[in-house]
Amino acid sequence: MPLKKEECDNAINVLEQTIKALREKDPIKLRELSDRTIHSASTEQNPGSITSAVIIYTLSKLIERRDYSKIKNWDKFVTKFNSLIKLAIDALKKQNLKAYEKHLQKARKSLESISVNLKQYIREIIQKASINKSSKLYEHGISLGQTAKLLGVTEWEIAEYSGQRGIADNSQNESIAVEKRAKIALEFFQ
Amino acid sequence: MGKLTKVLILESGTIINFSMNGLIYIIEELKKKFDGKFLITSQVKYETIDRPLKVPRFELEALRVENLLDNRVIEMPSSLGISEEEIKRETKALMEIANHTIKQDGQWIKIVSEAEISCLALSSILTKRGIDNIISIDERTTRILAEKPENLEEIISKKIHQNVKLITGADFSAFSKFKFIRSSELAYVAYKKGLLKIKGPKVLEAALYATKYKGSSISHEEINALKKL
Repeated sequence: MPLKKEECDNAINVLEQTIKALREKDPIKLRELSDRTIHSASTEQNPGSITSAVIIYTLSKLIERRDYSKIKNWDKFVTKFNSLIKLAIDALKKQNLKAYEKHLQKARKSLESISVNLKQYIREIIQKASINKSSKLYEHGISLGQTAKLLGVTEWEIAEYSGQRGIADNSQNESIAVEKRAKIALEFFQ
Repeated sequence: MGKLTKVLILESGTIINFSMNGLIYIIEELKKKFDGKFLITSQVKYETIDRPLKVPRFELEALRVENLLDNRVIEMPSSLGISEEEIKRETKALMEIANHTIKQDGQWIKIVSEAEISCLALSSILTKRGIDNIISIDERTTRILAEKPENLEEIISKKIHQNVKLITGADFSAFSKFKFIRSSELAYVAYKKGLLKIKGPKVLEAALYATKYKGSSISHEEINALKKL
């Protein structure tokens, strides 16, 4: 199914700004761009939006923690990564979603293999980014099972993370009064 | 043995919650006092046993849950003669309704997965057989969708900064028949029945917060209300 025009324009804009923010080593901008992607990921649920949300968030973490300074070929990586993002943008402009997703997957792989020494560490950050994004999707009203499926993480990982984010602390969460629910539970076990 | 009249359906979240909190014994203790069965669907088994058995970090927890199944504390629906096929069929029908409820800009949003809906499907089958049942589910989307779908419309609209539309047809009424509790209410029942291993004035509060921080969608306000009951 093709992406809606506004979604497509938004994704292109996010990727174009990612190129710039990565060049400028701007973690706040990258985080903001990742969050913007998650809005459309929650409604469209296309693999491309989800992959870009995860990789942009991972980049924001690597820059925020100044991990990039430990990576010998960082500048080379940025050039390669940004060229893959440009290809993803071109694919999006042609509404070629398959190519768009393929280039983003390649960008993710280039991130994973950025440094032999930090390979495991970066994988962990990507995994944490996936959990963070799952939790965000859950916050957007998508069920825990569905977000786990979309991000390829286990419900065990999301349960703990989302439990600490205060997602349940809003008035819409209470769909029946807690007193009534407790009564139902007690009566059921009588 | 008399006719089975009650079933507690455990969704993944409740099992994961108790397991991560070291409170899995609550399920065992409640079962001893319960005149009925505790059931899980194969999708829940996959998420709580089969899949975590392959993840070193969760392997021990998965083994503990598997132990519950081996000891028949929790059982599969086949123990009541309910086939996989029947659950799959009902799951598919309910998924079709649930995922055609919220629309944004002409497009349906896929809000739930088979994992959660399989529990609703099992509940629906049990109800048709005249067996009273309740679903223990910690995640909020499925619960809110069934109990107060307009809240879900509000949550999504607010989060994506665009209005989404809640569209519920006649067949959506099936959702209003499901009964839900969370691991927090199960911990509350265990407390009321004196089944918690730790005693003392703060134990209920501690148990409720423990469930909250491992994924039960209960608010601080609701915890305070439960403490006062």
